[in-house]
Amino acid sequence: MSQTAAAARYVGQSVKRLEDPRLVTGHGRYVDDIVLPGMLHAAFGRSDLARATITRLDTSAAEALDGVHAVYTGADLNSYNDSLRASLHPPESPAPPANMLADGDVRFVGDPYVMVVAQSRYIAEDALDLVEVEFEPLDPVVDYETAAESDHHVHPELGGNLAHDLPVPNPATDEAFANAAYTITETWHQHRQTNVPMETRGIVASWQPHAGVMEVWASTQSPHELQLVGARVLGIGEHKMVVHFGDVGGGFGQKMFLGREDMAVLVVAKLLGSPVKWIEDRRENLLASNHARIEQMTVKMAVGEDGSFLAADLDQLEDDGAYPLGGPATPGAMATMLYPGPYRMGPVSWRARTVYTNTCGRGAYRGPWQMESVAREQMIDRVAREIGMDPLELRRRNVLTPDDLPYQVSTGLLYETTISPKQTLEQAAEMIGYDEFRAEQAQAREEGRYLGLGMALYIEPTSMGMGPLGTESAMLRVEVDGHVNVFMGTGSHGQSLETTMAQLVADELGVRPEDVTLHQGHGSGYGFGTGGSRSAVIAGSAARAAASGVREKVVAIAAHLMEASADDLEVGDGVISVKGTPAASMTMAQVAATAYQNSDALPPGTEAGLEHTARYKAPPTTHSNACHICTCELDPGTGKITLLRYVVSEDCGVLINPMVVDGQIAGGVVQGIGGVLYEHAVYDASGNPLASTFLDYLVPTAAEVPELECGHVVVPSDTPGGHKGTGEGGAIGAPPAVFNAVADALAPFGAYPNRQPLDPNAVLSLIASASDE
Amino acid sequence: MKPAPFEYHAPETVADVVGLLAEHGDDAKPLAGGQSLVPLLAMRLTRFEHIVDLNRVDELFGVSLDNGGISIGAMTRQAAVETDTAVADRVPLLHLATPHIGHFQIRNRGTIGGSIAHADPASEYPAVMLALDGVAEIASASGFREAPAAEFFESTFMTAVAPDELLVALRFSAWDQPAGFAFDEIARRSGDFALAGAAVGIGTDAAGRINRAAVGMLGVGPTPLRASSVEAALMGLATSDADPAEIGRLAAEDMDPIGDVHASVEYRRRAGSTLVGRVLANALAQVNTEAGNG
Amino acid sequence: MADQIPLSMTVNGQTRRGLGEARLTLADFLREQAHCTGVHLGCEHGVCGSCTVLMDGEAVRSCLLFAVQADGAGITTVEGLAPDDETLHPVQEAFRDCHGLQCGFCTPGFVVSVAAFLEANPDPSDEEIRHGISGNLCRCTGYQGIVAATRQAAAVMKGSGQS
Ligand SMILES: Cc1cc2nc3c(=O)[nH]c(=O)nc-3n(C[C@H](O)[C@H](O)[C@H](O)COP(=O)(O)OP(=O)(O)OC[C@H]3O[C@@H](n4cnc5c(N)ncnc54)[C@H](O)[C@@H]3O)c2cc1C
Ligand code: FES
Ligand code: FES
Repeated sequence: MSQTAAAARYVGQSVKRLEDPRLVTGHGRYVDDIVLPGMLHAAFGRSDLARATITRLDTSAAEALDGVHAVYTGADLNSYNDSLRASLHPPESPAPPANMLADGDVRFVGDPYVMVVAQSRYIAEDALDLVEVEFEPLDPVVDYETAAESDHHVHPELGGNLAHDLPVPNPATDEAFANAAYTITETWHQHRQTNVPMETRGIVASWQPHAGVMEVWASTQSPHELQLVGARVLGIGEHKMVVHFGDVGGGFGQKMFLGREDMAVLVVAKLLGSPVKWIEDRRENLLASNHARIEQMTVKMAVGEDGSFLAADLDQLEDDGAYPLGGPATPGAMATMLYPGPYRMGPVSWRARTVYTNTCGRGAYRGPWQMESVAREQMIDRVAREIGMDPLELRRRNVLTPDDLPYQVSTGLLYETTISPKQTLEQAAEMIGYDEFRAEQAQAREEGRYLGLGMALYIEPTSMGMGPLGTESAMLRVEVDGHVNVFMGTGSHGQSLETTMAQLVADELGVRPEDVTLHQGHGSGYGFGTGGSRSAVIAGSAARAAASGVREKVVAIAAHLMEASADDLEVGDGVISVKGTPAASMTMAQVAATAYQNSDALPPGTEAGLEHTARYKAPPTTHSNACHICTCELDPGTGKITLLRYVVSEDCGVLINPMVVDGQIAGGVVQGIGGVLYEHAVYDASGNPLASTFLDYLVPTAAEVPELECGHVVVPSDTPGGHKGTGEGGAIGAPPAVFNAVADALAPFGAYPNRQPLDPNAVLSLIASASDE
Repeated sequence: MKPAPFEYHAPETVADVVGLLAEHGDDAKPLAGGQSLVPLLAMRLTRFEHIVDLNRVDELFGVSLDNGGISIGAMTRQAAVETDTAVADRVPLLHLATPHIGHFQIRNRGTIGGSIAHADPASEYPAVMLALDGVAEIASASGFREAPAAEFFESTFMTAVAPDELLVALRFSAWDQPAGFAFDEIARRSGDFALAGAAVGIGTDAAGRINRAAVGMLGVGPTPLRASSVEAALMGLATSDADPAEIGRLAAEDMDPIGDVHASVEYRRRAGSTLVGRVLANALAQVNTEAGNG
Repeated sequence: MADQIPLSMTVNGQTRRGLGEARLTLADFLREQAHCTGVHLGCEHGVCGSCTVLMDGEAVRSCLLFAVQADGAGITTVEGLAPDDETLHPVQEAFRDCHGLQCGFCTPGFVVSVAAFLEANPDPSDEEIRHGISGNLCRCTGYQGIVAATRQAAAVMKGSGQS
């Protein structure tokens, strides 16, 4: 960090977003807006069966249709398969065959087995209707709880459905359980949900023969993953893979990795030599992009007489579906390791398993291992109920306080001194008016009304500094007229990076945010893109460092030209002036013009030009933390849950743009609300998806969500700007907070929910079965 | 998600519409607001060789006064029904039910005829039509006929309107007595089709005794249904004597729910009964205030 | 290929002519032949509201209309709301002020819907706002900024007599 940086003028301000003028007027440029001469349109034919052998596939009628350019099957494309591994997936670990198109058999409803390329999407879909295909149905593996034992194998190549089994026993827990006053066990279930970016996936690929260049426009969170893996698929160098990054309509993890369809489009664009566009439609997106949160964790907790947490034993099982997006990773292992969260938990033993099923593949969804918070926070409320202690009091007794820090967690994590769970717990309790609410709740119960309160406290590992995720770069150039272009490996798709990175650069370099343009994709240096709550800390630190490098040079040049001492100069809003003597000044444009166009006037030995590239390597983790509390009312006649208030107290360190932080939290919270109360990507027992449209997959609307109240505790992290990641947290805290609120409202009925969604149907049947007992 | 090709027809008179329907039979489909038909076409869940657009047939639009009641042209937009003062005045249940249909953008295109002809069992207008004994006016190449609501809804998505027929208008009579009306439903989200709902009209004699009861239910059967047990239990009671929650429970007997992703048979029965009770209470409260005011 | 039908409509004040099959949706016509790529397709089955435009002044889903049905009509898309290249419509301004958008994909549909909603309801309560905008889905913002923006736009438009 530069010691001479101007005082923060823009960081910390709710600067209005630079991306907005084009987006609010309809002038954004998303992938579907790209039109190239001769561009053709792709559509995929997809399986209607969960598991089946393809006994006949005849594409001749489809090929004969006017306007159809080509029809491909697995046999045509799958020779490219060896190169499909995502960057995060280690080459040595077993993986399902990464077929672009199903070949010989289909393995989930939505599995693509044929691809048509035609004059228009309308004609491509007409051709799909003409593809003649026959299937021999096979027994599908649908239930992930029994998948590991099933004789039917999702991927016969792998010889079984168990993808991962990671047992981590810990003998120290035995003693703790033996001495515990209470041992409480429950299995917590999440259910199948999906990311639902409002813009579906999509890609346009254009091959330039002889040049050997593939030019791509895509809806992606990670243009460099696309560049790297795409080049590998095509057998070209990364220097011939040009990835343009435009506006991206959300992703939430879904657009971190290439899908099978993306790769097929790349290959086909090269085979055909014409530009090819594929825009996923909403049904494809709901059935075949990625699903998430299909998991359960059995938790056994040892608790002392006074409510202290003594030990935990965890058993996590997750459904990977057939083709997990980005490879068969093991978020379950992370979920168990992170289980202790912001508490003194004692020793923990765990096991984490993942299985394949004949369903849509699992992929990252905002807070991909948030099961740790779901299971823990729901468990804590259960413990409170079992031992007859108020849930806030129980958390107060176990939460880590500043005196406990730094803190070595028994599972191997190390918490730095800059976390603040105790402070956020207290701030949130204060914001909601905890004691007043409890009084109101008691009063309401006397009137036959059922109110509930739920809270969730968590610590989130953000900006993980390992492997391909560890670094980001920024190449910053002050142009001849003094305006700034900065090229970064990020993939902003709603995170406002064009504004927040500009704020960081503005302060560090001494210009105005609107003088800075962020360029992503082609021309930027390698980075893993935007996801995993990593851009503020990792990319932000790179942007700062690049700006600071240029600033030093600006000051040196100005000092030389103004015959002043560099120490006496300050830079702000594009003006370099002598401290205390504002009249003695020159502009960034003057310095830049000298640097490029009159380099003889530069101080001796100074290289011409005004640019600097910096790469930042992040520490292993930067933890952020938050507490969510919400209240609800339950209608026992209809089972309808109405959320009343929702408060969040969070610590993401130094806020770059408070409005943007609150926005990130709100978006995540509403996804969490959706997950617990509305959304369910449900399959029937034969593996047929029942929520294939927006009439069945219920994304919450404005009418279902309460006003969000956000409080901030600011403990700066040790990273250069003092920031911590905040992109995912909302979606981590909300599910257990909402779940706990509903469980609290259900308590008077004697009901003990342990699975979601808590839709009206589930709520009424919980009440009914509790009263039957 | 793009529709299959079709031939497009934009007739301007009912005579031309029924001529086209007669000519093309099962291959033709009328297009009203398109808010149900076009999604089905886009997803290729259904397809027709001929689409007969009703949007340029002026005679199908508008609300007219009819013998103390009203007649509503099939192509009258739901938004127009919502704001029409004659509707609010003479058939309050239609007015009360309309805001529950989808969202304002849907109601700007969606038509009352489309809702009734589509006959989704979870839809609002069919339940109101059934409760109020509305009458459908139907045209075909061989002339006009009428179908009373009780005979109109044959099974899920199936009505008395044959493929070569056109629903032209819906007639409702006004209640010429002290009366109260209420409508409510439970839906998963704002604007969604109902999981269960009820449309209730209560009429009394001058002494405040119930002599007319109309209870329509949506979402609790293969078609919209009437809660005849509830209606029977109400007749002859003084409004102040009726225990709506108690009487509402009787509605469960009149239901024949179908379970789906959103709610089970058992749920629809329970929540449906609760709603009938609550809507009944609101309707009764309406009568009381009217009597009080009058 | 099926018959191409000549199409003509007024889009954002200009006459736009084109050709399309009967099945061409209004949304696709606007995007591909009228250069209104602000008309976004989030579902193509009428639920998300991203494709909302004004047809003869009324907010409608352009994915649920065929272009031929709009022949002769007046269409306003999000591109047609701002009075000039330097000025935003009060609803657009409010979305920017209140962080009513993140990725921006749902935004054109929201902006058009909110403009139409406020036209009919110049002084809405928060409850009315939440129900009024419930026909549009946003996956990024949690609606907080959108509700606030609608509130702000209502106040501004009322003040300037624009509604
Ligand atoms: C997001 C969304 C939410 C919705 N929510 C609801 C809701 O909560 N409640 C609800 O009731 N509806 C809802 N709808 C459906 C909407 O109300 C439809 O408009 C209505 O069901 C059909 O009316 P339409 O005019 O659009 O008819 P179309 O979609 O044009 O036609 C529907 C069917 O009726 C036939 N038809 C139409 N008019 C005639 C006629 N005059 N004679 C013979 N046949 C005819 C058509 O051939 C077609 O089979 C929703 C729709 C959407 C997209
Ligand atoms: S694209 Fe038209 S409503 Fe979703
Ligand atoms: S801003 Fe991304 S969907 Fe609304």
